[in-house]
Amino acid sequence: MSFSHRVIKQCYAMEGSTRYKGLKQAVFNLLENPRAPIRPYFDIFMILLVLTSVWMLIYEVKNDLGLLGDIFEIIVVGIFIIEYLLRFWIYNDGHKTILERYERAQFINESFHVWSALGHASLEKLRYIVRPLAIIDLLAIIPSYRPLRFLRIFLLFRLFKLFRYTRSISEFVKVLSEKRIELVTLFIFMAFITFTAATAMFFFEADRSDPQISGFFDSIYWALVTISTVGYGDITPHTTEGRIVTLVLIIAGLGVISFFTSIIVSAFGEKIHEIRAHRIFSEVERKHIDTLICGFGRVGQVVAERLAADKQMFVVVDPKEENVRIAKKQGYPAVLGDGEDNDLLLSLGIDTRVRRLLCLTGDDVVNVYITLTARQINPGIEIISRANHRENVTKLYRAGASHCVAPYEVLGLIAAEYAGQPVAFEAVYGLLTGQSHEGIEAVRIQQGGVLDGQPMGDVDFRHRKLTPFGVIRKGDCEPGDSRYPLRDSCFHFNPRDDFTLRADDLLVLFGHEYSVVHFRDCLERGTL
Amino acid sequence: MSRRDTLIFGCSALGHEVAMQLSDRGIDVFLYSNDLDEVGALLAKGLQAGVVDYTDDEKLRDIGIGNWVKTIFCLFSEEPKNLFLTLSARALDEKLKIICVCESNASAERLRAAGATKVIDPYEISGHRVHELIARPYLVEMLENAMFGKYIDIAEIEIPEHSTLSGVPLNDLQLDKRYNLIVMGVVDLELGNQLIFSTSGVAHRLDAGDILVVIGPMGEISRLKQAVFENEMEPLPGSRDP
Repeated sequence: MSFSHRVIKQCYAMEGSTRYKGLKQAVFNLLENPRAPIRPYFDIFMILLVLTSVWMLIYEVKNDLGLLGDIFEIIVVGIFIIEYLLRFWIYNDGHKTILERYERAQFINESFHVWSALGHASLEKLRYIVRPLAIIDLLAIIPSYRPLRFLRIFLLFRLFKLFRYTRSISEFVKVLSEKRIELVTLFIFMAFITFTAATAMFFFEADRSDPQISGFFDSIYWALVTISTVGYGDITPHTTEGRIVTLVLIIAGLGVISFFTSIIVSAFGEKIHEIRAHRIFSEVERKHIDTLICGFGRVGQVVAERLAADKQMFVVVDPKEENVRIAKKQGYPAVLGDGEDNDLLLSLGIDTRVRRLLCLTGDDVVNVYITLTARQINPGIEIISRANHRENVTKLYRAGASHCVAPYEVLGLIAAEYAGQPVAFEAVYGLLTGQSHEGIEAVRIQQGGVLDGQPMGDVDFRHRKLTPFGVIRKGDCEPGDSRYPLRDSCFHFNPRDDFTLRADDLLVLFGHEYSVVHFRDCLERGTL
Repeated sequence: MSRRDTLIFGCSALGHEVAMQLSDRGIDVFLYSNDLDEVGALLAKGLQAGVVDYTDDEKLRDIGIGNWVKTIFCLFSEEPKNLFLTLSARALDEKLKIICVCESNASAERLRAAGATKVIDPYEISGHRVHELIARPYLVEMLENAMFGKYIDIAEIEIPEHSTLSGVPLNDLQLDKRYNLIVMGVVDLELGNQLIFSTSGVAHRLDAGDILVVIGPMGEISRLKQAVFENEMEPLPGSRDP
């Protein structure tokens, strides 16, 4: 087998191996993936390591740490080297580059040059080395090598490594880099002023008999100290001309400082929502939140309250700042943004993790839009949508909603009930709002449980202050005497005494919540 | 103009919905609003509607409040309007049933203070519905598909004077065996208008004037109504009732 064959075979083996890929993914999660659950722990560990090693460097300047210090240093450098190599490894897939070349050569019937492919792959890999953060990593390691001890000052680069592990610093850098143009303009302006002032100062002051400024570097130093409004006062102008230059420079300095401040403030002002949203995204990812509420109006708030009472996690999306503030006040994770925003939904994991989407905005157009988008992204998701007008219910179902809730319809129902039967109304209202303690609850019959195979007549419901309301049984049913078809099951209303319960039936009971809880408890323990 | 005893104020989507539901149940309604456009839209949909200035007590009296009107619905989308109407109507008629919609708990309090008989919070109900869909989807499906008018209905039946039912304990009614009906509870107007749930364990004895709240197929309900009216209850199946 030729060398080229062996290389290709090895590459295919790597491509096909799940173990290799899994390992690489695990390393990726540890080092790079910002949303991996393990990442924060790794980051904190590395931050502590860096801080300890830097503290030891500082301590070592005046004291001797002895053998223990040396061992610690070796361990730290070892970890850094391993980290560097791992990052180098996961930077890209070398074997894929080779395979790509090979397959292309096969496709167009060209001969495959293994060396050129290997060279190309290593070149790709080497690109990693020239990335800024990789250089920092390298500089944090190199000075530990004894012959290069003179580079000790580069050990400060260990502090720069913190960029990698703290998101706020990297976000800071990112925000500033978006203001590149303004910052470059400011820098050029500042350089121009500094240089002009320094030249003028040198011109007026350097040729005096007793000069404070002996060279051009001194005047640059003076100009910067003055323009930044620091003003040490170690070099001061003594001629009138020099003082005039100073006055101009001070005023220009004020301008530069305020310009600089305003750039940073506005950069953060623009980005703060994004930064906050990113925080929420990773929180959502970390906590495996699978319910998304779009629209935090009154309905959304009620739902959120109930879900929170059930200890269920969810994330709120609302375009109104006020609503987001209300959500945050209650302690719910909330993102400011439109539910129609595809990227936002994707960032929240609608394609993978989210299992349930609640469209509860007051605008049916928005609800339909969100429902449709979400359904297209993820066909398996459960979507509950609010319909503010009755004619939109069918549209929502067509757009892909699993369920629709129409506030006005429910209200109309209740109002009509009240007008006709004011007493029954109270009961219905209680049932519908969940405000009364009496209500309808369901209990699932367990396989081999106490109730499995029992006729209804043998269970003493009355003694437990419960009324059997009905049984929901899976499967088809022919409509008939108190049997009513549901979507994929059958509802038996008021089952007779000879009705035998089966496993997986849902026994619907009517009664006080405590009675139901007690009944469930008895079933669990098997003591009926 | 015919004298209707149920009036709806506010002709938004909500008023429309309530009017439809009431008409479905055979209750004749008339909608009022002070907004000509809204009224026009409803008239176009075939509902009976009219314009009235609800801030004028004389006009309210003219349409029958304080006289023959028994129930009004305040379904304006703005809370101040509902509040104003509630206050005016309550001043005109002490016994009038006033049903209001509200937007929040705070406004519910205000409306009740102004004299509303019942305050309904549509958002609360919808929110609860959504939560139920998440927490207990099968029950919601059952309630939606089987209850509320489709197959099974909820009804109230008043016990007449000299009924054989008076004196019978609530627990011994056994309507589930006699009629395929489930008794939710009973309201004894002498004790207040709270519903006494059949499962609450209170040994309540029925007497004339009590109102039974039952759930069941519509046919069974009318059978029971008939029996109560004729004072002749079905015997328990399998037992020899004296």
